[in-house]
Amino acid sequence: MLTKKRWWVPWAFLAIPLIMYLIWVIIPIGRTFVYSFSSWDGLSENIDFIGFDNFKMLFGDRIFTTALMNNIKWFIFFIIIPVPVGLGFAMLLDMKLPGSKLFKTLVYLPMTLSFVVIGTMWSWIYEPQYGALNSFLDAIGLDFLITPWLSDPQIVTFSLIFAAIWRQIPYMMVLFLAGLKNVSQDQVEAAYVDGANAWQRFWNIILPALRPSMIVAITVSIIDSLRAFDIVFVMTKGGPFHSSTVLANFMYIEAFNNYRMGYGSAIAVIQFAITFGFIILYLLNAMKNEE
Amino acid sequence: MKKLTLTLTVLTLVLFVFSARTLVINSYMSDPAPKEVFSELVAEFEEMYPDIDVTVNTFAHEDFKTLLRTWLGSGNAPDVVTWFAGERMRFFAEKGLLEPLNDIFPNGFGEKFPEAFKTASAYKDKIYFIPQSWYWWGIYYNKAVFNDLDLEIPKTWDEFMAVNETLKENGKIPMTIGTKYLWTAGGWFDYLNMRVNGIEFHTEFTAGKIPFTDPRVKKVFEYWKEMVENEYFIDNHSAYSWQEAANRLFTGEAGMYLMGQFIKDVAPEDVKDDIDFFRFPIINPEMGVYEDTPIDGFMVPKNAKNIEDAKLFMQYIAGKESQQYFADELGRLAANKKVTPPDAHAQAGMDMILESDGVMQFFDRDMNPEMANKAMNGFVEFMMFPSRIDAILENLESIRQRIYN
Repeated sequence: MLTKKRWWVPWAFLAIPLIMYLIWVIIPIGRTFVYSFSSWDGLSENIDFIGFDNFKMLFGDRIFTTALMNNIKWFIFFIIIPVPVGLGFAMLLDMKLPGSKLFKTLVYLPMTLSFVVIGTMWSWIYEPQYGALNSFLDAIGLDFLITPWLSDPQIVTFSLIFAAIWRQIPYMMVLFLAGLKNVSQDQVEAAYVDGANAWQRFWNIILPALRPSMIVAITVSIIDSLRAFDIVFVMTKGGPFHSSTVLANFMYIEAFNNYRMGYGSAIAVIQFAITFGFIILYLLNAMKNEE
Repeated sequence: MKKLTLTLTVLTLVLFVFSARTLVINSYMSDPAPKEVFSELVAEFEEMYPDIDVTVNTFAHEDFKTLLRTWLGSGNAPDVVTWFAGERMRFFAEKGLLEPLNDIFPNGFGEKFPEAFKTASAYKDKIYFIPQSWYWWGIYYNKAVFNDLDLEIPKTWDEFMAVNETLKENGKIPMTIGTKYLWTAGGWFDYLNMRVNGIEFHTEFTAGKIPFTDPRVKKVFEYWKEMVENEYFIDNHSAYSWQEAANRLFTGEAGMYLMGQFIKDVAPEDVKDDIDFFRFPIINPEMGVYEDTPIDGFMVPKNAKNIEDAKLFMQYIAGKESQQYFADELGRLAANKKVTPPDAHAQAGMDMILESDGVMQFFDRDMNPEMANKAMNGFVEFMMFPSRIDAILENLESIRQRIYN
């Protein structure tokens, strides 16, 4: 019974979150854009504006290229591994086999750990001489596979991605398990009666019904891969010599370690632009579905 | 982290309500030994001034370095912070973010501290930094390993190379180093450059006045390359922090480690006495002998809430008793000149420095922060791929030109 006089009531309720959102999200984003055109060091009172110089400099900076390429690697591997594997686990554990609750818990467990814990743990696993991985390879006679996982510049990014994927898989699994609850059992059973085999039922009935979950899973993976930071920062700080750096880590080091707030902001703006593109795609899709 | 900050803020507020005088100290002394000793000093200060409530917030060393900037720039700065003397301090002083501390020394800085420390503690005639302790760098070695292999302490580069070779032949890692956080590689550059080109050149270099492509700089890397190409450094050094690499020295897997005296802080009790040091070998006998002697201490942020009590604390921490205690417990050298070196090891370090012809702080304390970061990344790359040296130096040179021009 909302009368016209009280149009302001929903706004009054919204005001607090909106103000908070404005102060902690919108204004900082705006300021980042402003700083990205400056050579500010993050401390001085004077801010010199230098136009697009930071962006020009970025495209000649080989660390930026490395960071961007590494983000692309994260992006690709975050789509091709955790999404199908997570879906596989979800299908398997949805079958309510004996012990599936236990397995669900076990697979889910990495999700409960923070990235910092995961990073520290995997640093030990990857330790070149006494680490679990190399010791294990040695024990089973695969010593030719022993590698300095975190100090070989060709391999280090993949080592980091693997550690991150280990946590991403259960995340994907949970998303798909929730999605599977919404798949109409009637349709699956009808297909079964009509003689569709397991693969046909999966491909033609279940998978299309999982489309909303799939879109969420892929979008989340893309965004997670682009904002990768914690694992990199904890495990290598982007090293050795920037080999494993990603945009977020590069931005952090430039802005906070090297006192180049302007340059760091420019990196953040580029990262924002890339992520924003994907978010727009997602929102468009979400809106289309709502209609 | 957010929770921690929140708790700390609430705690500070509560303390503020109940007592008129609170003093907040943010400290990077996160290794157990110095952390413990510092908390004892703070407790003593609180006993001397029962009205003052002191809160010490301890941060991991690497985090502290990036957080300090935020505190100094914010309206809510701590009252006292730990920091490094020299360029690292001046960077903030020249931006007007620090409180001058001259009135702590009514009879002049030289009454308490060696005059030689003044340049590292001052900016434009004003003191901004209170030195607490200082230490020397040297090549730390495992005595047991040296005794087993009948090794003598090397004095020259050739002798040093021979020691490395013997260690390697006997299945030891001659030189351990952990370059994950880069700065350990800066120590190698410091020493090689000081030994090869001398302190004047090194001072000019760290001030950004000399191109990375200068032939004299390249010469430094020729010596370094000898170490790298003979595989005297530990494998995969970029996967280790400095402490992880130090463990190899303690276990006797490695023979030597170019490190500061604080390596003793992390040595297990049973091997502590086996860890000793010698002066970095002489390369060019014509050249003077120079050393790295970083000074650690305290500063007061300009926008600290309680500058008055911060200065009381500075007075206390600069005093003979507190400096003596800190030095004795940790085996460091106190900055206060009335304090005698705590033990034979510290005396030996002191003697080495007194015999030297000049001292620097340390690579990343003497150089612009960004240049130091990029250069040390380059050094680590060089230590893994020595053949890339020309490309590395050219890249660093282009960065130097951007920063200093």
